[in-house]
Amino acid sequence: MKGTLIIAKRELSAFFRVPLGWVVMALFLFLSGFVFVRFSLQPGTPATMRDFFSFWWRVLVVVSPAISMRLLAEEHRTGTIDPLLSSPVSEVAVVTGKFLGALGFLGVCLAPTLVYAAVLMWLARPDPGPIFAGYLGIALLGAFQLALGLLFSSLTSSQTLAFLATLVTLLVLEAGAGFGAQWLSEPWDQVPLAFSTDLRIADFAKGLIDTSHVAFFVIASVWLCGLAALVLRTRRWR
Amino acid sequence: MVELSGVTKDYGRFRAVSDVSLAIQPGRVTGLLGPNGAGKSTIIRMITCLLAPTQGSVSVCGFDTVTESAKARASIGYLPEFAPLYPEMTARGYLRFRAGLAGLRGKAAAAAVGRALERCWLGEVADRRISAMSKGFRQRVGLAGAILHDPRVLILDEPTTGLDPTQIRETRALLRSLALERVLLLSSHILPEVEATCDQIVIIARGVVRASGTPKDLLRASAQPGYLVLPGRLTSAEQLEQLAVAIAGLAGVSGVAADATLGAGGLRVSSTESGGDLREPIAVLAAQQGVLLTELQMLRPSLEQVFMRVIQEAA
Repeated sequence: MKGTLIIAKRELSAFFRVPLGWVVMALFLFLSGFVFVRFSLQPGTPATMRDFFSFWWRVLVVVSPAISMRLLAEEHRTGTIDPLLSSPVSEVAVVTGKFLGALGFLGVCLAPTLVYAAVLMWLARPDPGPIFAGYLGIALLGAFQLALGLLFSSLTSSQTLAFLATLVTLLVLEAGAGFGAQWLSEPWDQVPLAFSTDLRIADFAKGLIDTSHVAFFVIASVWLCGLAALVLRTRRWR
Repeated sequence: MVELSGVTKDYGRFRAVSDVSLAIQPGRVTGLLGPNGAGKSTIIRMITCLLAPTQGSVSVCGFDTVTESAKARASIGYLPEFAPLYPEMTARGYLRFRAGLAGLRGKAAAAAVGRALERCWLGEVADRRISAMSKGFRQRVGLAGAILHDPRVLILDEPTTGLDPTQIRETRALLRSLALERVLLLSSHILPEVEATCDQIVIIARGVVRASGTPKDLLRASAQPGYLVLPGRLTSAEQLEQLAVAIAGLAGVSGVAADATLGAGGLRVSSTESGGDLREPIAVLAAQQGVLLTELQMLRPSLEQVFMRVIQEAA
């Protein structure tokens, strides 16, 4: 898609040129380091990163909205969206480029944590399967959360509003899954549970790559990005 | 060519643009002039494919801006008002990004960026962050971004905002050279700017085209020149009265009125369309009456007067 990679590259490099990018990365690495030392690097415990990955949901629920909030909201606020949308690139290319740029930044944040896996491998003999599955799960979860954040960022020119809307939606989805499963009878209790990303990540952390989980994250991310592109397109028809 | 046919744009119940038809030709600078809220930006946003008209159609180089939007956009270079840019980027980085969006790659992109930097006098700040630039430099980076891919249609919203007088003069010259081979539409509410730069002016008020033509056409159609006549101090009241009557009798004079604000005995003469230059006949009459004139001046109507009249009529 014409322009997608250009936009993704600009977006990724922008994260390293603004203080927000460095703050998010520092927060990310501090929390991940803390979680690794506190839960995984304990003498006498099994050599796994299961707790490390399970804890990631709590880290990403704050970090992903912080990464995604500026993607389109900032463009709306400063007016840079106008030269972008009047250039010969489609709304889908703009949204995909933004999404890939943000996902790339999340990847850059995640990359240093591979050191933890290397430390664990050096000190003990963990099964590499669950570690691979865990990283895959984190990447898919991040993609889903970033796509949701991108949708909210396309709807407003306020980064704060985009951040809060994404955070609240992610928390409501999770809380809704818990309450829904408690109050609804079978088989309806499975509906809110299907939206629980925490449960899906728990499976990845165990080393279980369930295609239904992979499909959920991929389809939801594509769908949310598609909605964001639709929001940009409908702006022309206001 | 840019063509608007019966274009109307509604924002809910508010009609921002009403039944506008325009054909903007290449080879000249066309100015879209109007007060704030007149509908200029809405028209520009419809031409640049950022808004779809509620009724009517807009075509750019033969491509409909709604059904063939991507092709239309490929022909457009657009500088929005206040030149929105990414402050964390350098001028060169930003232009490379814009070149990529326009589909330029590799050497072609590098050459286009170098050309745009040079044309907009940005060589010395090419690698400086946009956030550290003055308003004038930012405006020039925005302009460079718009002309970078050599578009056939150039749409500039307030292109000289923030520039100093030397830069304004240079930018005007650049716009004139750019207009030679493309459609160039600029929007402004600064009258002298439009008067100095544009070959064609379209005046918009309350979403409707109120007047259009070359500056000369607009001036000619709108108002005839007036004359200021100031006799010497020794002129008697009787001589002054006789002079006023004689001037009023001249062919092409529509009225003579005393105007004390011009000085003692000052006369303000208004003329009709067929009058031509009346300075010489007035001077001859004054000499015949034995009146020595200290000042005789033709007062040409300004575009500002035309603009104000059009706006008042629209109100």
